[in-house]
Parts: sequence; C-alpha cells; structure tokens
Amino acid sequence: MLPYDQRDPHAHLCSDHAREHPTVWDLPVAESLKREWLELETRRHFFGRGAKALAWAGLATILGKSAPQMLANAASGTEIRPHFAPKAKRAIYLFMAGAPSQLETWDYKPGLAALFDKDLPESVRGGQVLTGMTASQPRLPIAPSMFKFQQHGKAGHWVSELFPWTAKIADEIAVIKSLHTEAINHEPAILQITTGNMFPGRPSIGSWLSYGLGAMNEELPTFVVMTSKMPVVKNVQALSNRLWSAGFLSPEHAAVALRAGHDPVLYLNNPKGLNSDARRAMIDGVNALNRQLFERVGDPETNARIAQYEMAFRMQTSVPELTNLSDEPASTWDLYGPKAKEPGTFAYNCLMARRMAERGVRFSQVFLRSWDTHSDVPGRLAALCEDSDRPTYALVADLKRRGMLDDTLVIWGGEFGRTVYSQGGLKRDLYGRDHHPRCFSMWMAGAGVKPGLAFGETDDFSYNIVKDPVHIRDLHATILHLFGIDHSRLTFKFQGLDQKLTGVLPAKIIDGILA
Amino acid sequence: MISRVATGFSLRRKLYLVVSLVAGATAWGEPTFFQARVAPILDRNCTVCHGEEKQKSGLRLDTYEFLQRGGEGGKIVAPGKVGESELYRRITLPGDDEDVMPSDGKPRLTANEVKILELWIASGASPTAPVSAFPNAPAPLTPKPAALPLAPDWRPRAQEIAALEAALNVRLAPRSALPRDGLVLRTVSAPARCDDATLSRLASVAELIVDAELARTKVTDAGLKSVASWPNLRTLDLSRTAVTSDGLSALQSLDKLETLNLTGTLVDDTGVARVRTLPKLRRLWFFGTRAQSPDCDPGK
Repeated sequence: MLPYDQRDPHAHLCSDHAREHPTVWDLPVAESLKREWLELETRRHFFGRGAKALAWAGLATILGKSAPQMLANAASGTEIRPHFAPKAKRAIYLFMAGAPSQLETWDYKPGLAALFDKDLPESVRGGQVLTGMTASQPRLPIAPSMFKFQQHGKAGHWVSELFPWTAKIADEIAVIKSLHTEAINHEPAILQITTGNMFPGRPSIGSWLSYGLGAMNEELPTFVVMTSKMPVVKNVQALSNRLWSAGFLSPEHAAVALRAGHDPVLYLNNPKGLNSDARRAMIDGVNALNRQLFERVGDPETNARIAQYEMAFRMQTSVPELTNLSDEPASTWDLYGPKAKEPGTFAYNCLMARRMAERGVRFSQVFLRSWDTHSDVPGRLAALCEDSDRPTYALVADLKRRGMLDDTLVIWGGEFGRTVYSQGGLKRDLYGRDHHPRCFSMWMAGAGVKPGLAFGETDDFSYNIVKDPVHIRDLHATILHLFGIDHSRLTFKFQGLDQKLTGVLPAKIIDGILA
Repeated sequence: MISRVATGFSLRRKLYLVVSLVAGATAWGEPTFFQARVAPILDRNCTVCHGEEKQKSGLRLDTYEFLQRGGEGGKIVAPGKVGESELYRRITLPGDDEDVMPSDGKPRLTANEVKILELWIASGASPTAPVSAFPNAPAPLTPKPAALPLAPDWRPRAQEIAALEAALNVRLAPRSALPRDGLVLRTVSAPARCDDATLSRLASVAELIVDAELARTKVTDAGLKSVASWPNLRTLDLSRTAVTSDGLSALQSLDKLETLNLTGTLVDDTGVARVRTLPKLRRLWFFGTRAQSPDCDPGK
C-alpha cells in the first residue's frame, strides 16, 4: 500500500459515494484528521466484507470483552480493560434527586442550636452570590436541624434520627461530607453528577462503564435506571433520559429505564397474535436490511441498531424472569418491608437493584425525587426518609449477608447541598433551605470503600469545606478506580477531544476512602 | 497480533535500554539520580507531548540525550543554573501563564517533583551522578507493591480460550489488563446452561481460572471435583446451587481460595466446618442455608 500522501485521495471510495459530495479531503483541515477519516473509511470496507465479519462487528459491541477479543483489541491498539484488578464488579446508585439537606442527614452541626435565628455571618458567606430564590430575602437567619443526632456503630458515625434503619449499617458506609459542585440549579447540577458535565449530551457514568467494560450478562442491559414513586410530591423536577443517555457513545450504552408494573420495558412483549417465531423472523428480516445499510453507508449506528434489536429479543425472556419476585424467600420481605411488594416504590426498586446485581447488571441507578425542600424541611424530610430509610438499609444488609457487598458498590446522594439559613420564614420546626453548591454529603459502601469512615469536613455552619474537598469529578474518578479503570485512560474521541467522564480539569482519586 | 503488542512494548524498552546504557547506572552499579528520580517525573508529566509519539516544539524528553538537545527554542537545561533553565522556568510559572507546563490545564508537577528537578539542574544536570549524591532530595513515593501474578499468562492460550467459550456458553474474561491476573469464569448470561459437564471440560485452562462465578448454575457436588483441580482459584461463588456439605470435601485442595460464597445452598454446619480449614480462606458466606455457625469475616 502506498503511503497516505502518495495516494489519490479519492481512489479508495466506493463507486456509490465517490465524489458524490465534498469530503474531508476537500476541506481545509489538518492532515491528521484526513488520515483518520481515511482509516475509518478503510475499516468500513473491512467490516463491509462478508456476513461473518459483520456479525462479529455487531456482536463485539454488545458483548463484554472476553480474552480473545481483548487480545484482538490490544493488537489493534485498543487497551485491555479493566486496567487493573477491580474491587467493584457492579454498582447501585441510589440517587436522591432534588438535593437532600446535608444538615438534617449526614453533616451534624451541634453548635448551630445556639445560633437559632441569628444572621449568617458575612465572613462565612464570603460574598457568595445567592440564587434568585433567596437573594431578595432581608435576612439570612440560621436554621439549626430540628432532628437529633446520635452516634452509631463502632465507627461512631453521627446519624440523624431520620435514619433509624440506616443507623444499623453505620459501620458499612463511608460518609463524604465535603462534596462540592459549581452548579446551583437542579438540571445542570444533576447532569454534572450523572454525566460529569452541566451540558446535556454527555454519556452517564453507567454508559461509560458499559463502553469501558462491556456486558457481564448478555441477556440484560448493562445499565438500568428506575424511578420511584414519591411519598410527597412537591417541588419535583422532571427526570429526563439525558441523565442516563449514552451521549456521543454508541446508543447501546444508554440505560434501559425499567418501569413499574406489568410492562417493565415498553413495547418489549410481542403484540397480540404474534408468536415468538414470527417475531424472530421479523427481527432477522430487519437485521438483514440493516446489514445492507451498514455495508453501503458504514455508519456504526446501524450496528448499534442491530445489537439493540437482538438485545430486545433476549430481554423478552430475561426481564420477566428478573421481575418475577415469587422466588424471593420470606427473609427478603422481612428485611425490605411490605412496601417492597408494590411495584415502583423505592423499596421495590431497591430489591430489583439487588436482583439485577445478582444477574450481572453492571450499573443500576434508582432515582427518588422530591428532596428539593425550599419549604417545610422537617415535614418533607420525615416523609422521604420514612419511605427510603428502611429499603436503603435493607439493600446494603441484603448484599452483605449474600456475600455481594464485597464486589458491589452502593452510592447514596443528591446533586448539591442546602443552605444553613432558612428560606422563607423560620420556626424551630418549620423552615426551608435553598440550594447550596459549596458542600454536600454522600455515602458509599462496599467494593473497596473503607467501611465506617467519615471523610472531609465543613465549617461550623456546613457552608464551606475546611478539609478534604471532593469535587464531583473526583467522585467519578474514584468510582471508575473501584471498577479497575484509570479515569484518564477511559476516553472516546469526539469533537476533536479525547472525551472523559471526568472532563478536562484534573481529577483525583479520593485515596482516603479506599480500603 | 501478539508480536505487535510485543513490539510496542519493546520499542519503549529499547529507549530505556539506551538510557540505561548511557546513564542507567554508575560504574558501581548504583542507580543514577537521573534514571531513578528525574526520568520518571518527565515520563509522568511531559512525554505525552514531548516523547516518542508527539514532539511539540520539536522537543523530546524521553531520554537524556533528547533532554540535552532541547527543542526549537534551544536548550532547556543550563547545567548548574536553575534560573536560566527554561525547563525549570516553565514548570514554576503561575497556573494562568500561557507558557506554563504542563499546558492546557494538565496536572501540575508536585512540589517534590519540582524540587527534584531543581536539585538535579543545580548540581550540573549530570546523567551519571548517583542517587547518593542527592541526600536532600525528597524521598520517593513508596511504590505500591506490584500485583502478584495469580496465574500463568493467558495470552498464548487465546485461541483455546475462544474455542472453549464458544463451545461451553461461558465467558473466560481476563480479570484485568495484567496478563497474569488470571481469568474470571463468568456464567451469568446463561447460568442454566452451565452444569457439571461444563466444568469438566475446562480442565485445559484449569490453572488460569482465579474467580469462578457459578451462582444459580446447575452445578452439583459432582462438579466440585472439577473445581477442585483449579489450583489458582481465589474466589468461588456457588450461591443458589444444589451443592451440599458432601461436595465441599472435594475443595480441600484449593489452598489459595480466599472467598467462598455458599448462600442459598444445601450445605449445613458439617460442610462449613470442612471449608473453614482452608488455609487462605478469609471470607465465607452461607446465608439461607441450614448452617448455624457465624459467618467468616476477615481477621476472624
């Protein structure tokens, strides 16, 4: 083969799209870009030859990486992952959307009791611009938590009375009190923590894991999302699938959203009168057409489409098995409580998350909304914790007794924190809290996380971080690390950048919380 | 395929070899300061853009010779004169200076790394000065202990592994990019299709399997005889299989087994007592069985 620069730039094109339209060769762009495009074009041709190569190409995108594939990858310059032996085989992320107050939950500030209704010192606020929701308030009066705290476990975590069940697993969890973000409103904040970027269109954590590590179970999606029924419905933000999309990665890395009830995945069941053989024949037909399209156009999206039809067909068997809870022993219901029998509740979703973990779903994310307590913090937190505390405990305890907590990472948290001062009026047992990006609390358990640890510190007002700040990108780097991935090496080329979950700013692994 | 991987590695090795021939060790065999302390810093922070693959501004920092040569802007190290060394100036500029290195917001050198380069340049930027000539250099980070090899290299067996995967409907996934980290036997896609016969056909890769995920499979006591011949097995998950205490007797040979999950099996205290004596066992679960004894935790 001639070197690139001696070849006719158009000689390699298929007859059907040669000179049809201007190509990269006609544009004033860097030579390296042209070469990359040419290589891609050559590869399209390679995969376009013969059904065998095609089938392999299609399959390789959905199967996890097995030894021979990895070797092939290594030979083609793609690296073998995980980069190093992982602690986590899978993760369950309990996402408290709307941002739970750290002051009532994990960041105990006993000193505030004496400062009830005093003004927040200007020195603490440090000239911070407030959101439009409280900027016009004449005062910023301090609102101490009305809930009491007690130390629990050998670790002596201070746990809120809102969490009588979670208190029992205090020695399993590592609380991080020093998370911070730049975003001050829900949509950018929740995008940042689910995808690493405030702008929509980026792959979420689960999508990066699917892209990086492939599937463990080829019959189920690698990344699943569930949203939960809310015990209180107030100030609720919509959740959209951009929080669990694959962004610029191939679409099969997006989450499958599991719904409550008889039809967990929409349009999965065969329409009335269509049997499984007919369905199979139909999919084969559609796939054949898609393969022709792929051969002609070479768009990798077509292969993703083929893979998704195949996945949907397999899920016709695997999803009913997953959601059929009749094989659960009585001890399950004793642990999770009666609400776990009701599809769509947070308790049910926690149990489903455990069942998915058993079946090799790599990343499941359970959303519970309504934590956006601009008013009535006490009443709403009480209802939300009453609903979620026991299932949260049950999930961790269940994973532990089944020997799965060792390699399953559990993550709990929202998208930012809340203000120490009250929004709106202030009574001892009635106050609101505005958004606060400068600090918030999360916890992690299992899979290589140091159990019973409290990490990071905030000032006496839970306003500024005074020790061990953890940015969201540090959290992401740490999650990837637990999966055996070096976050700086899990990249995907898009818009001229080697895109990463952790973005372009330096991210550090939170060494202090690793066991 | 393998040879291409090997070439990629060896190219790098060769460069190091050149370095080590010229500057690698003093006449007495003591490592040089350059090789032991300076080169790794350059490798970590600089050679992504100034190395074998990219040479921004015509500069390479992956060998002593290249470092000496400098880039398009001339020499970057003035032996003995820290203040006149462009290398030092660039790494100590404020973060928002457009000349700062590493550029584009990449992580800065740590204070210790800067100090090491400073000391080295100040002392004459020698390729041969030994480590012992720099008693004031910040101590090197204690490197993490290298991962112990768990199993033989799987790569020469790749074709065999592929054939077994296809024939048996199981996956034999490398545990990590380290070729001696062993394979994970993964059955979760189709646990019902993995049975005692499946396990008996894995004998040829027995020493490669370090983690066997057999939960919810059709494996019974008979299959444990096959498992017993996997000498490098560290982790074994038999959750919700039909294995009994009798079958566990076979596992006595697994002297490297660290983690054993018997959740939801038919074992009882007899079986638990049998496996408790395994020399390396640290984690043992038998929730949902008839066994009564306390679970095994690390340190117990």
